[in-house]
Amino acid sequence: MEANPTDPVGRSGTPSPAGGQVATPENGVFARALLISVFVIATCGLIYELLAGTIASYLLGDSVTQFSTIIGVYLFAMGVGSWLSRFVLRELVTMFVRIEILVGLVGGLTSPVLFLAFAEVSAFRVILYGWVTLTGILVGLEIPLLMRILEHELPFADLVSRVLSLDYLGALAASLLFPLWLVPRLGLMRSSFLFGVLNLLVAVATCHLFADRLAARRRVTAQAWGALVLLLLGLMSSERLMSFAEQRLYDQPVIYADSSPYQRLVITRKLDEVRLFLDGNLQFSSRDEYRYHEALVHPAMTYFEQPRTNVLVLGGGDGFAVREILRYPSVERVVLVDLDPLMVKVFRDHDELSGLNGFALRDPRVEVVHQDAFIWLDRLDEQFDLVIVDFPDPRNFSLGKLYSTTFYQRLTAALRPGAVVAVQSTSPLHTREAFWCVNKTLKTVGFHTLPYHATVPSFGKWGFILAAAQPLDVAVFQAEAAGRLPQGLKYLAPGLLPGLFLFPPDMGPVDVDENRLNNQAVVEYHERGWKATPPT
Amino acid sequence: MTWMSLAPWVMGAGACGRSRSELPDHSVSLEGIEGEIVGPSMEAGHLLRSGGAGLPASPPEVQELDTLIVGGGIAGLTAGWRLNGEGHGDFKLLELENEVGGKSRSGRSSISPYPWGAHYLPVPSRESAIVRKILEEMGLVIGRDADGEPIYDPRHLCHAPQERLFVGNRWQPGVSLRSVAEPEDAAELAAFESRLRELRDFRDEQGRRAFALPMELSSRDPGLLALDRISMAEYLDAEGWTSPRIRWYLDYCCRDDYGCSLDETSAWAGWHYFCARPEDSEVLTWPEGNGRLVDFLRRALGNRIETSTLVYRVRSAGDGGERVSVDTLNLKTQVTTRFRCRRLIYALPRFTAPYVIEGFDRSLSRSFTYAPWLVANLTVDGRRRPSQNQGYFSSQTAWDNVLYDSRSLGYVVATHQNLSAYPGATVLTYYLPFVDLDPVSARTRLQQASWSELAASVLGDLAQAHPDLVKRVDRIDLMRWGHAMIRPVPGFIWGSDRRHDGLEEKFPGILFAHSDMSGLSLFEEASYRGAVAADRVLSC
Ligand SMILES: Cc1cc2nc3c(=O)[nH]c(=O)nc-3n(C[C@H](O)[C@H](O)[C@H](O)COP(=O)(O)OP(=O)(O)OC[C@H]3O[C@@H](n4cnc5c(N)ncnc54)[C@H](O)[C@@H]3O)c2cc1C
Repeated sequence: MEANPTDPVGRSGTPSPAGGQVATPENGVFARALLISVFVIATCGLIYELLAGTIASYLLGDSVTQFSTIIGVYLFAMGVGSWLSRFVLRELVTMFVRIEILVGLVGGLTSPVLFLAFAEVSAFRVILYGWVTLTGILVGLEIPLLMRILEHELPFADLVSRVLSLDYLGALAASLLFPLWLVPRLGLMRSSFLFGVLNLLVAVATCHLFADRLAARRRVTAQAWGALVLLLLGLMSSERLMSFAEQRLYDQPVIYADSSPYQRLVITRKLDEVRLFLDGNLQFSSRDEYRYHEALVHPAMTYFEQPRTNVLVLGGGDGFAVREILRYPSVERVVLVDLDPLMVKVFRDHDELSGLNGFALRDPRVEVVHQDAFIWLDRLDEQFDLVIVDFPDPRNFSLGKLYSTTFYQRLTAALRPGAVVAVQSTSPLHTREAFWCVNKTLKTVGFHTLPYHATVPSFGKWGFILAAAQPLDVAVFQAEAAGRLPQGLKYLAPGLLPGLFLFPPDMGPVDVDENRLNNQAVVEYHERGWKATPPT
Repeated sequence: MTWMSLAPWVMGAGACGRSRSELPDHSVSLEGIEGEIVGPSMEAGHLLRSGGAGLPASPPEVQELDTLIVGGGIAGLTAGWRLNGEGHGDFKLLELENEVGGKSRSGRSSISPYPWGAHYLPVPSRESAIVRKILEEMGLVIGRDADGEPIYDPRHLCHAPQERLFVGNRWQPGVSLRSVAEPEDAAELAAFESRLRELRDFRDEQGRRAFALPMELSSRDPGLLALDRISMAEYLDAEGWTSPRIRWYLDYCCRDDYGCSLDETSAWAGWHYFCARPEDSEVLTWPEGNGRLVDFLRRALGNRIETSTLVYRVRSAGDGGERVSVDTLNLKTQVTTRFRCRRLIYALPRFTAPYVIEGFDRSLSRSFTYAPWLVANLTVDGRRRPSQNQGYFSSQTAWDNVLYDSRSLGYVVATHQNLSAYPGATVLTYYLPFVDLDPVSARTRLQQASWSELAASVLGDLAQAHPDLVKRVDRIDLMRWGHAMIRPVPGFIWGSDRRHDGLEEKFPGILFAHSDMSGLSLFEEASYRGAVAADRVLSC
């Protein structure tokens, strides 16, 4: 390729600015103002990246991965932006204002876009990295453009030194502001809008101070103002947007949200359907929770003729299982063990929510214990004739301990002769191996078991296991047990009972290991199952 | 903004964590983190090395008894447990520190007990009869399998997930030859495993295994003993096994069990690590590590233990039927006492002998060399809500967490064996053996380092895997072990110095018992040495 000796700049991809825009050194305000804007836009640029990284870690977990990938993508996109700057040949100042408008809008909308995308879009990561790339490209364009605009205002050495030092200074400001003030004080939503506004102020200021250097002055100025107003509106309604985003995450209106030391509890309601989410996982929907809880409690309550008097409920602080238990007049005492006082507070003291369980937790026969179930059980020296084990699914190693041979071994010591246990055992359809693993584990420590299932639309097919020290016979449910069912059930009709114990081939027994503390097989099975068929 | 303003971010802590030398310099802000350096007592060591200057040559107070045990480590404690169990009541155990346990000692923070040294015990093989008996007495055996082998209570077996490795900037489950090997290592891996099987299945004419625990029960086949004359590294070279990953793993094992690098571990000791225990054997562990075992033994001894007692002079029984005399200083009361006994079980590390036992020539202990170790206990997340910890130092963290790019061994998690569904705050125990410097310089380096230098180094190392750890640590407590582990360097284990034929004839009345006599710092060896000494007391 032949170089054009008269246009060295053109060769380097930086053609000289078009006539009329060439700045004359007499205008020192121009240079100073643009240098100030370097500082502002550098700060904004880093803030957008920190926002994306923080939101991604918040929503996806694993902060090291999120931050690393976001930094990588962002840097790369900035490189692309810098490279693209060579194609901007004319109207540098106008182009700079346009870029600022875009940076302001794209960057300023980082938080709302990402939060809403997470709630609404299945391919959240595509949006996340797309947004980061877009922001990066735009931010990458800023400094090269500015340097070219200033090219004729300052000697080159001076220019580079000033622009870069201000750039770094801006980055420092951002990295200090972000953790110390922005996140704790303003929150992610407001910070996002605020910095978008700053970018737009740079755009608006440029428009007004250097109107004479702009092509299509009116239009650009109007655009800048329009975008600024838009973001200011966003800034003012950040609060509402944030709660809207949380609503979206739960897809129904949130009527109660609180955090305990153990979990985040969110309750939503739409029409007459109330739902409880713990750490984002659906625990029940009032529309069909009775199916789950009737299935959990009544087979165990009715299996033996001898009425149950002393009942232990492990987990299940929502009080629904207790509601079903209290249908039997023979019950004298129910001990409910749930670690989280917040759960019990909500479902006992909150007037409307405790109505859902028929005020079961206010019943004088009910005693509530707030302790870690395994540790409490380990020290227990009382015995019960019925135990309901209603723990969260074994989705991590800590919860997996509550499904171990050691746990069930310890449970046997809490049983009176002739006692029955019912265990919620996750879905035999979604995670068939995990379900049969719980069954195998119970058998390993000497229980006789009867696995069964129920259909709970919010969850899908759900599984339970009946366990006792003596052999159990399904035939009981064909005859006498059905007659012992209390009145007023909405799901368990007497004729339905025996069918729950039949397993179609797609949920049938599989060969699995028992779950021991030292293998935690159930956690792996559970994870495998839900990975293959994610919850809807 | 330019990419350059992000450079420190991108390289950040990760880059300095890559350092391959011990105690790398790290500039980490320790603001808000408390902690201290704890024992073992240095002044006592100095007192001994100065030849007991200022201590009475003949303490006025004299106590007579049949048997005295000095040293309350696993060896001394097992000796006492054995004597007690056999109904031999006339003995005492003296310990320098204010607690027994030695290198198996434990501590406690507001969150959890934690180990200061030994933290696990592999399920003992048939040969480790003493260990089996101890575990059974502790009530850890819940039944027997079809072969009559004990079944241990799963509460005390290390819960899953047991181990994970930080490599290539992420955690991967498991730390084993297979988990680190890449496809191109397949041939070496297969060769290594087939050699392993051969050695593991080996039985000599007397039916002894190639490598047993206790090591005294190993075969004396000359071909096997010859392995002790070369280092594990030389062995691998000779086989042409060069895979850096396989070597990393073997080096890690040597550092972990012996505090020695591949180049300094004898090939016999290296193979012993792999062959002495049953394949896939599990480990027993507790929040306080082997402190649990110490506690059981201590209780068995009851009030026969005297702590804070420095043994500064031992004179063996002369020919004239005199008894062994043992001069001691109570560090709390400053009272000196002379014990006179028929038998002395000397359960102190051998390097102390020239300073303590009259007439014990330094040349007799010269080949006993010890690796220094730094142990750090980090109390983490005490100020956090348990829900914030899910998946970080609790539910997804393994018990043993190893870093590929580090000279440390990573950390173990004290609360791993908790039964709680919301484990929350925890204590991490970090181990750093000094294997790259010679022991003497390493010891000096370790002794001279300040708390902040050591703490920063620990945090800097862990930052590669946990960049935010520095913000989550409440306390860092440090233990400097100057003589942590006996080093099984080539020639030591099957050389004459370790065996010390005739040593007990030379020092009548004294029975030696310490894990360093096996050349392997292991609970099984310490307890075996203690039990053997006790049996000698009982038999004559
Ligand atoms: C960091 C570390 C981690 C380890 N991890 C493991 C592990 O996980 N599993 C395992 O099996 N082994 C481990 N070990 C090996 C451990 O050393 C042995 O398991 C065992 O504790 C050794 O016991 P011992 O009785 O032979 O020696 P020591 O523990 O050395 O006991 C000697 C005792 O003598 C006392 N003493 C010394 N001088 C005097 C004196 N002059 N007067 C009175 N008393 C004195 C000492 O205070 C000490 O209590 C580890 C060791 C270290 C250092």
